[in-house]
Amino acid sequence: MKVMFTAIVICILLPGTLYAGEGALTASEIVRRGNHMALYQGQDTKGSVKMEITDSQGRIRRRAFNILRKNADAKDRDQLYFTYFQAPADVRKMVFMVHKHAALENDDDRWLYMPSLDLVKRIAAGDKRTSFVGSDFLYEDISGRSPEEDVHTLTGTTERSYIIKSVPKDPDSVEFEYSISYIDKETFMPMKMSYYKQGDLCARQIKVMKLENIDAREDNRSVAYPTAVLTEARNFETGSRTTMAFSGIRYNTGFGTDLFTERYLRRPPRDVRR
Amino acid sequence: MKPFKERIIDFSVTRYRLVMVCTLVLTLATGAFFPLVKMDTDPENMLEITEPARVFHNAAKKRFDLSDTVVLGVINEKDPDGVFNPNTLKRIYELTKFAKTLRWPDENNPARMSGVIEADMIAPSLVDHMSRQGPGTIKFEWLMEEPPKTRAQAREIRQKALSNPLLKGQMISGDGRAICIYLPLTDKLLSYKVYKALQEKTGAFTGDDQFHITGLPVAEGAIGVEMFTQMSTASPLAMAVIFALLFLFFRKWRIIILPMIIATVSIVAAMGLMIAVGFPVHILSSMLPIFLMSIAMVDSVHVLSEFFDVYTPEKGRKETVRQVMSTLFAPMLYTSLTTAAGFLSLTLAPIPPARVFGLFLSIGVMIAWAVTIFFVPAYIMMMPEKALADFGLTAQGGRKSWLVRPLAALGRFTHRRAALILVLLVAGIMVSIWGINQIRINDNYAKRFDLSHPIRQADTALNKHFGGTYMAYLVLESPGLQRPDRFEIQKLTQGLAEFALTIEDEFPRAPDLAANLARELPGIAQDASDFYAFVNGVGHHLDKMAVGASEETAFTLRELQVFFELERERNKPFKRPEVLSYMADLQDHLLETGLIGKASSVADVVRKVNQELTDGRPESFAIPRRFQSVSECYLQYQQSHRPNDLWHMVTPDYSHANIRLQFPTGDSINTKATVAEVRSYVEANPLPASLTYRWAGLHYINLVLEGKLVWGFLKSFAGSFLIVFIMMSYLFRSLLWGGLCMVPLTITLGAIYGITGIVGKDYDLPIAVLSALSIGMAVDFAIHFLERSRAGYREKGNWGRVVGHMFGEPARAISRNVLVIAIGFLPLLVASLVPYKTTGIMLFMILSCSGLITLLALPAILTIGEKFFFKGLYPGKEPERKIKKKDLVHTS
Repeated sequence: MKVMFTAIVICILLPGTLYAGEGALTASEIVRRGNHMALYQGQDTKGSVKMEITDSQGRIRRRAFNILRKNADAKDRDQLYFTYFQAPADVRKMVFMVHKHAALENDDDRWLYMPSLDLVKRIAAGDKRTSFVGSDFLYEDISGRSPEEDVHTLTGTTERSYIIKSVPKDPDSVEFEYSISYIDKETFMPMKMSYYKQGDLCARQIKVMKLENIDAREDNRSVAYPTAVLTEARNFETGSRTTMAFSGIRYNTGFGTDLFTERYLRRPPRDVRR
Repeated sequence: MKPFKERIIDFSVTRYRLVMVCTLVLTLATGAFFPLVKMDTDPENMLEITEPARVFHNAAKKRFDLSDTVVLGVINEKDPDGVFNPNTLKRIYELTKFAKTLRWPDENNPARMSGVIEADMIAPSLVDHMSRQGPGTIKFEWLMEEPPKTRAQAREIRQKALSNPLLKGQMISGDGRAICIYLPLTDKLLSYKVYKALQEKTGAFTGDDQFHITGLPVAEGAIGVEMFTQMSTASPLAMAVIFALLFLFFRKWRIIILPMIIATVSIVAAMGLMIAVGFPVHILSSMLPIFLMSIAMVDSVHVLSEFFDVYTPEKGRKETVRQVMSTLFAPMLYTSLTTAAGFLSLTLAPIPPARVFGLFLSIGVMIAWAVTIFFVPAYIMMMPEKALADFGLTAQGGRKSWLVRPLAALGRFTHRRAALILVLLVAGIMVSIWGINQIRINDNYAKRFDLSHPIRQADTALNKHFGGTYMAYLVLESPGLQRPDRFEIQKLTQGLAEFALTIEDEFPRAPDLAANLARELPGIAQDASDFYAFVNGVGHHLDKMAVGASEETAFTLRELQVFFELERERNKPFKRPEVLSYMADLQDHLLETGLIGKASSVADVVRKVNQELTDGRPESFAIPRRFQSVSECYLQYQQSHRPNDLWHMVTPDYSHANIRLQFPTGDSINTKATVAEVRSYVEANPLPASLTYRWAGLHYINLVLEGKLVWGFLKSFAGSFLIVFIMMSYLFRSLLWGGLCMVPLTITLGAIYGITGIVGKDYDLPIAVLSALSIGMAVDFAIHFLERSRAGYREKGNWGRVVGHMFGEPARAISRNVLVIAIGFLPLLVASLVPYKTTGIMLFMILSCSGLITLLALPAILTIGEKFFFKGLYPGKEPERKIKKKDLVHTS
């Protein structure tokens, strides 16, 4: 019996220990964990973003907005986003809301509220590789590219990172040929993503410049979520770059799902506006 | 001591071996620099680097990140849907993919790529389509993400593209028959490389699609490259014909090779020196060989002609050469000096390459003179006497030669019918003056190419379908905003108080805090350099107020700051609805004049986005009334695949913007009219928001260039004219003779310009440049004729008797020159570049006109005014001493 038990324990644990060992992690597992760290930590997040877009001539444009994110399930799939604009002052109160659907066949739902026209518009599904508010970040960089859209291979490791090459399954749907991600071995945070065009030409790069542990409560325990508080996107074709600084971050404040509905676009709660 | 002339002739006749060696060394030494040649094919370099228009053009290019663009047009006239059929669209899709690959590592910086800028390319698969998708829904998508599979899908793409006023007339023709792909380049000097690559690619396509490649950089690049290739094909062709003509006259190849040698030596030496000194060979300098060839030819044909006519075996080559050189020394020196001086005056032109051209042309002329003086006698001495056995006029039928009789008859005619000739001349001058008044100054880059040239055909075909492939930018500039004065602070205070009341519900302390802040405003304004600094100053002050205050107060203060930030944004000129409306009106006005084919600016962006954001109705294609709505339109426009498109139209601080004008024709006269139209429109409707405007764009630069060139050349030409006149008056010691010398040149030029005006050919750059050549030619003949007339008169004392002599050997030399060069350069007419054709025609006209006038008008004038002109010239009537002295002056 004891032997039997030991055998069962070994059978259960052995794959686990092997799995946890370095090198045994599969590319898709690394990507899955990277995806979780980048987008799905905690139940929800709230914070303020300051964006600086610097063009090739050094001219700077600034944006500021508050962003709220809530996981719609516990499977790292569907999510809700609410973006409330603070600056520039003339587009203040503009809101951009997304219901992200992870299933490839199911397009995201997107809404836009324009205060001066006092108009709520649904944005029909086009593709997600358009500029986010004129910056060098794309919508897909903000809400995340589904891991299912690419074929991932682990092409190497460095002292600190796994190097993952991702090739889109549908090459015509994107402007790049493949991407290379550096995912931190310890935190599994994707630290650097480079997008290559034909001829191994690096066209874009997104880099986490600063990672901070943000304290929060999860199921009544104290936890610390490693969070990218400074991220930079560079477009090598235009020579433009955008930094995104994330501050005032709070996890698991427990705001309700009903915030992410059309009626709050016109008049979001005070907590969102500040 | 022998006179200078005699010593030179002696030297070259006796030390001929040394002369040969020296000539060879000169040629080899200067020729050795040829591999170092640097080409300069950029027409922009015709302007000084500091030229304000050029400086601003480049500043505007940088400010709006504009690139010179190659246009690839696809036209389908046969398919019922034009280019919007699956086949053609698939090709366009592939061509776009191909065009993206036209980039290479930068020569100066291998880490960077140079060539086509993919991010700024415009093609159906690379632009966005924004539309309403049912009520309340808006859609952003690629216009053509992939080539359509069915005709219906292709037509849907057409309908989408036509709905975008920014694309209609630019990327897609209004009739849907044509599409243009725009390929911006990192450097316009790469345009020819891109052009060739595209040409090769499209050359492989078959079917009803026509492919055209154009755009000003292509035209300029092609001119640059092809001027040089034609230089190396057209010049030898002309040489061959000249060789044949010379053979016809002189029948001895060992003799006729002489002019060729002289031309070659002077061209190689002048170009070699130019390269050695470090000047790049500019497009203009590519005309140097042709110019020098014709000028060098004239001198040596004079020598050959004289030698041919005088030579007899009895006299021997040595004696003949001495006699010939002695007769021609003075006129050749004068002609070379005047020609060189004429070209040297180009160094005063406000055009850098023209200065280099003028300088080395005059150096070349003097080299040609030196080579003629030294090398010709030496060369003849090198030949064995027996090689000249059957050479010479006497040996080849003597007085029966076909030039002899007609010329003699012409001489008698000028003497007998002098009055008639002068009357005809005056009539001719009147007609010329009338013709000159008809001249239209106009330049057009496309017209540098022959009608059959692919670039000319592309120009015609694409401009028929589109708003135009020639672009200029009307740049609107804001002087910036002053810091608020007392009156404005009062207004701001009032506005702030009202704003505070609107947020009082949520921020109860707002009115109090606003009142506190208002008291500080004058001080903050005092320290600020402009309005933006003022708003920043307010921000800093609010931050200070927030220190140690409650969270609620901090939020309130931040809210108050919004008021000032809003004021700042409101004052950005190109966010203001009335500024955008002004731009839209100006664009409409210019379109109505028919001078331009299309105008586009941020006014179109805002109108289009507003239309799609609201209800999509045609009347919603308008500038919104509130400035925040304008801002929302701008922000929406940036949420596309191509956010940077906006910054080609307006600067990120919204203080400068441009209106891009597309011209359907390259005619500079049309650009000029547009510039005038804008000026009068702005005078009648003052620009809002203290804006000012300036022009940029290659097409506008060409207009500036044309003004500079045409007037620059005209001025330097007038300078040359004056210099030559002064020189001639000095050399002849007589204003009268100096003036007489200018007659053939003046009439020739008048006739050429007159004909140009009458046949309706535009007075453009190539004609302006070639006018300079007429000085070298027309004065030459006059000097030869007059100098020898005077010499003859001194001997004979009676013009009637001199005429017979003048229409012997001297007239034959002129006639041979006219025939050799006028006909010799006609092969240039087969060239595919118009400047070469123009050169051929101009040389023909200059030579035949000035030759004819020299041989008709000068003797007629001398006949009528014999007493007047020759007064005191016959030694019998003047002391011997004075003449001796005059002779010395002439020849030393």
